Amino acid sequence: MRRSWQMNIALTLSLVFLGLLILLPFWWVVSSSFKESQEIISRTPTMVPHSFTLQHFQKLLGSSDYPVYMLNSVIVSTISAIITLMMAVPAAYAFFRMRFPGREVMYRTILLAYAFPSIVVLIPLFGMFVRLGLVDTLTGLVIINVTFALPFSIWMLRSFFAGLPSEIEEAAVMDGASTLVILRRVMIPLIMPGIASVGIFAFILSWTEYVFTSVLIVSDAKRTVPVGFSGIIGQYQIDWGMLLAGASFAVLPVIILFSLVGRWFVGGLTEGAVK
Amino acid sequence: MKKLQTTCTALAVILPLQAFAQDVELTLWHMEQPPHRVERLQQLIDAFNESHDGVTVSQEPQNWGEIYAKAPAALAAGVGPDIMFVTPDFVPILKQVTDIPSVEGLVSELDSKHDFIDSTVEAYSYEDGIWAVPLYNMAMNLWYRKSDLSEAGIEVPQTWDDLKAAAETLSADGVYGLGLPANKQLYTDQTVYSFMVNGGATEIFNEDGTLRFDNPETVDSYTTYADLQKLSPPDSTSWTWGEAEACFISESCGMILQFSVITSYDTQGAGDAADLGVAPIPAKSADGDHNTIAYANAGLILSTEEAEREAAGAFLSFLLEPENYGSFLNMEPGLFMPLTATGAEAESFWSDPLTAKYREQVEGIIANSHNGQLFGFTSGRTFPSIAAISARNLIAETLQDIVVRGNSPADAVAAGQAQMSDAAAN
Repeated sequence: MRRSWQMNIALTLSLVFLGLLILLPFWWVVSSSFKESQEIISRTPTMVPHSFTLQHFQKLLGSSDYPVYMLNSVIVSTISAIITLMMAVPAAYAFFRMRFPGREVMYRTILLAYAFPSIVVLIPLFGMFVRLGLVDTLTGLVIINVTFALPFSIWMLRSFFAGLPSEIEEAAVMDGASTLVILRRVMIPLIMPGIASVGIFAFILSWTEYVFTSVLIVSDAKRTVPVGFSGIIGQYQIDWGMLLAGASFAVLPVIILFSLVGRWFVGGLTEGAVK
Repeated sequence: MKKLQTTCTALAVILPLQAFAQDVELTLWHMEQPPHRVERLQQLIDAFNESHDGVTVSQEPQNWGEIYAKAPAALAAGVGPDIMFVTPDFVPILKQVTDIPSVEGLVSELDSKHDFIDSTVEAYSYEDGIWAVPLYNMAMNLWYRKSDLSEAGIEVPQTWDDLKAAAETLSADGVYGLGLPANKQLYTDQTVYSFMVNGGATEIFNEDGTLRFDNPETVDSYTTYADLQKLSPPDSTSWTWGEAEACFISESCGMILQFSVITSYDTQGAGDAADLGVAPIPAKSADGDHNTIAYANAGLILSTEEAEREAAGAFLSFLLEPENYGSFLNMEPGLFMPLTATGAEAESFWSDPLTAKYREQVEGIIANSHNGQLFGFTSGRTFPSIAAISARNLIAETLQDIVVRGNSPADAVAAGQAQMSDAAAN
């Protein structure tokens, strides 16, 4: 089917507009992080830097604990994403495949975890974590992140399971495969795009988590990027250069994750489309 | 008698190098998180630890954004710090969750040695005790560029009318004459109150603790502020301190009300000390006082163990010693002002390169800080229920009611008092 030239132009313009909408903030932050301080806060903003300096990055890495915050964030987010997937995949499959009393009610109820503002549970949770020795530990953060990522992950993955043709599973059953074998050998490879999506979701949720980390972490050495970085900025003053340098660094792991998993993700989608 | 004198002299000599009978480890929480402040504090902590056998102080910087939830939770769970830097409105909150012994003896001793500005001690004196040791003062000032005023042919504003006239004159060529915030945030609380203290609305409470926020003076102050706020940039309804500072430094704003962080002006702006004007907040009328909002930050000793309290007292005393005090205050030159007579003259304070470069401005800030007031801690009286009002930024919300929602100042102030009553009751 051939598109008219008007349609082609409209499509191109729409894509350019969408591209600018997505890329301009990134460009603005990253390019500004290389500008001199005076140019950053200049009355006339510059899209293309007129000056170039690495001083903001040097200051960020040299005089603050930002590298420590980054390392903590990578550890917490990676482990949280892995554990979330390890728990969400079998749970979602169980909700999809197994028949047990109250299945639908339970499936819908798990999303209640998002019904309460996190600030409501913050103080009692702090007391509980103190008794368990989890205050000021990365383990505590992983537990929190998994708790909040799991319900939605289960929902997402069940939808992916539900989208697979039932004949595939039936064929595996005919071949004598157990439920676990069907899950591991048949279903998981087929829902890899879903697993990649949920992994990215869990990672980003942990990467950006602020409220619990800000209260449950006491020492500077255990802070993650969002909390540690907000402190670097300061209250009565803002070092705009350092702020932009930190923001540029903060999106790097997420971009790297997307570039690695995204390709696999797209491949999986295409594979599913021709089945 | 002679023996006693000899012993006292010996003790006085030994005291700075005091050895404690048992090893004491103290944790200090503070909210001075920018790296250069943490580094400066660490230098002082290292010096203290080296000169005091048996005591180890370590710092854990915290964030102002979370500390109101975090500190009470930590103290209630028994994992809080031993010392904490606080502002007056934070102490009543902490006193509700934990027993804080009075430091009256320590403050008296330090007062006789260094001579505190009285109001800074008063902010922590209530309910038959003094709850923290004043350490550093912050006061709000009017910032302007001398060259701008000179070119426009106007004098430094002394009154509200002067301020409006100057702001209108400076509003040209894309410049906003005056940058005033209208965010529901602490910065707006502070700027609005800076007007209130010059408009006869200093007292938010009656003597019996009931609210008197809703009065003609408060309405008049809000009316003036809201009127001037129209000359500010459109995004000022979401400003915190940093945005106002950037507006001034980038020369987009002619004047701002600000705590004076000189580092930013020096490094991100022109850095021309001769052009930076720091003036008192304009008075309501020509015969009025130039008051301002001021925060006397203090060291709160939370530990209840005798040895730890003694060591914490030694640490706070160490910071107030003139040879250390200047270094301590200059962790952020221009922002933190001395609140002792000995500190105001300390060589360690004035010898800092940035403080020396901006000496004229710093002297002005110190002078202004003597006229400092803080809502809820005025006229030598303290109303702990201000903590709940402050935590909810109700002074700023009252302004938003006018600036954002378009209500009349009288209605907004009446609604503000109702909200304050609710907050204080709960």
